[in-house]
Amino acid sequence: MRPILAIASTTVGEAIRRRVLLVILLIGVLFIVVAPGLGILSARSETTVLRGFMLGVTQGVSCIIAVILTVYMIPNEIERRTIYTILSKPVQRWQFLVGKYLGAVFSLLLMMAMMSAVMAFVFFLQQQSKNVGEVADLMKGPMMYFVQMCLLAAVGIFFSTFVAPLVNFFLTIGVFLLGTFFNPLFQTLQENQNTVPFVKLVAKGVNTFLPNFANYNVQNPIINPTSVIQNEGRYYLGITVYGVVYISILLIVAILIFDRREV
Amino acid sequence: MKHRSSPILLVMLLLAILGQGFLQRKVIFPQWKRDFNPGKGKLMSSAMSPDQILAVLAGFREITAGILWVKADSFFDNGNYDAILPLIRLVTLLDPNEIDVYATGMWHIGYNFTDEEQRSDRRYLPSALALGKEGCKQNPDTYELFFEEGWLWYHKIDDDYDNAVKWFLQAQTKADMMPARKNLLGMAYQRAGEVDKSIDTYFRLYTDSEKRYEKEGAFQNHQNRDTLESNLDNMLVRSVQRGYQAMQRKDTLTGYDVNPPFDVGFSVKATVVEPRVIRFEGTWNVLPVGTRVRVVLRDADFPGAHGAELDWDAKDSVNLDPPRDQTFMQEQLFVKNRRFNKKVDMSKDPTMYPFTKDKYILEFYYNARSAPPHIQDKFGWSGEGMTDKNFLNTKIRPNGQRVVFTSLTLTKDQILRYGEWVDKAPIVKTANYAETGPDNSAGEDVILKIPSLRSGAGTK
Repeated sequence: MRPILAIASTTVGEAIRRRVLLVILLIGVLFIVVAPGLGILSARSETTVLRGFMLGVTQGVSCIIAVILTVYMIPNEIERRTIYTILSKPVQRWQFLVGKYLGAVFSLLLMMAMMSAVMAFVFFLQQQSKNVGEVADLMKGPMMYFVQMCLLAAVGIFFSTFVAPLVNFFLTIGVFLLGTFFNPLFQTLQENQNTVPFVKLVAKGVNTFLPNFANYNVQNPIINPTSVIQNEGRYYLGITVYGVVYISILLIVAILIFDRREV
Repeated sequence: MKHRSSPILLVMLLLAILGQGFLQRKVIFPQWKRDFNPGKGKLMSSAMSPDQILAVLAGFREITAGILWVKADSFFDNGNYDAILPLIRLVTLLDPNEIDVYATGMWHIGYNFTDEEQRSDRRYLPSALALGKEGCKQNPDTYELFFEEGWLWYHKIDDDYDNAVKWFLQAQTKADMMPARKNLLGMAYQRAGEVDKSIDTYFRLYTDSEKRYEKEGAFQNHQNRDTLESNLDNMLVRSVQRGYQAMQRKDTLTGYDVNPPFDVGFSVKATVVEPRVIRFEGTWNVLPVGTRVRVVLRDADFPGAHGAELDWDAKDSVNLDPPRDQTFMQEQLFVKNRRFNKKVDMSKDPTMYPFTKDKYILEFYYNARSAPPHIQDKFGWSGEGMTDKNFLNTKIRPNGQRVVFTSLTLTKDQILRYGEWVDKAPIVKTANYAETGPDNSAGEDVILKIPSLRSGAGTK
């Protein structure tokens, strides 16, 4: 366990020192700070747009950070040959990979926590009622986005074991878009009576095996608090378990590939 | 070195893949579909463009919707109503929880598309209702759109009031409904001919309002309680005077205001005075003002049209482009001094009245349920105090409701004054129509004196 934690902490240090990530984070925070000015765009409740925008920024910025953080992770180590010094020590390849992944997750946690804290502060100030419960409700979004980004980071790490960073960037973004997009598309295909049975079958297969990022887009009832959600806790637990299981799958496959790779 | 995968690892991998598939398909997806789906299935099926979908994917649905709605607002100010329709559709797709956009959209589609004489284009009404239905599906936990849907039936369609009742009832099940807005259900019940339910509703709401006033105080609660008390009082008196209670007891109606039924003596003549301009003249023997006779001019084969109305509720999908080749004109003929005389000019709005078909039907309809209370005092809630020796109809509306209805036919050539009608004004009229002098008298007068509320006076 110690080698994994050592690699993870080194990865967090590297991530914090990467200026490009810090700039993206800063832009995200600035957007969140100016978000209250957009309340005029709401037809009735200015908090609707405020919540929607802040959650959108948090998710978007986190997504960019997760992808940039992970696509270079393994290739950079190989290119700079730093991987040799690590693997020459009593560190297994799987430990290296898991350590790198956990480092990425901790980095994401730090950055997302910072954005969420700013978001909570701005929302609290903007609120007339100063209701802490509403702020806590808003935080459900970033919490689920964090699981979503952990899954995205796992996708990035998985691809980084066998493709170049640029290809990995587009692959990871592509999987994210597809995984976000496929739930509504799948529902439409299933409910449309004119859909060919074969297409329905393929759609069912994709919906079953593709990492489903749409599950974590829980902002709709947060932005519109009138929506009544049944078994909300069970759903959050379900998608968290789903995320953990899927991350495990991606890491296991990544370990199997990385184990066979010549470095 | 040859790597060999551990069988345990592979088994674990297989189990994990199957496990996540099970979780996704059986546990997560059904709940996601029910509670978290942003468009509740409408997003893709309504064919959004790729950039709109990307905006949605980027998590900026609400802000995109907000920007578009601000744009729509500027179109409202400029009177550019046509431009608002696609924006309404887009905003409701992007953010299906924008209740105001649904409500404004329904009102806009239902009321604002008019001709030069401010007659609504009723071909849009099914779309307005469909938009409301979609809004209700997307926002099932708030009363507003259920109320708005009921209001469209109650006020704009002004017929088939049982539909208004249906939606108002659903609105009342929502916790956030404002107390004063609940009162309209009592009125809708009356117009649907459900007198007992109207009384029950007023009584229930009165009891609730009294409790609310005792608990919370506040002027509006006091005012609402007084309004309900007055409504209940009126309703009880009317139900007696109009003979409703006697009918329920199966007593004779002798001495009640609705007895004997009064012959309204309806007759009509329609003259095509110019191409696409028709003058309607006719008689209605009720002296007090407040009578509106509905006239409909429509294609003979207009889909879903019957008995001076359309099958308004036929659509579930919102189509903001009504059929451009179909004609459906609806107007009210106001009676004054027992006659009506109105020129309906359809020449300035060829898109609303295209007249592409060969045959047209003119329908005339009067329904006591839509009448003002002082007329209902004589005619009753379902027309029991009204008759017409030529045109009384108990079939075109459900439950034997007594209405006045007749229809005439016109051809395209007659309406457009083509062919033989170039120099000759086409006239169609009911067999009983008689020309009258300038004083509007047509022989012997039989004048209906409407009894005042609680007067107990006779009817003739």
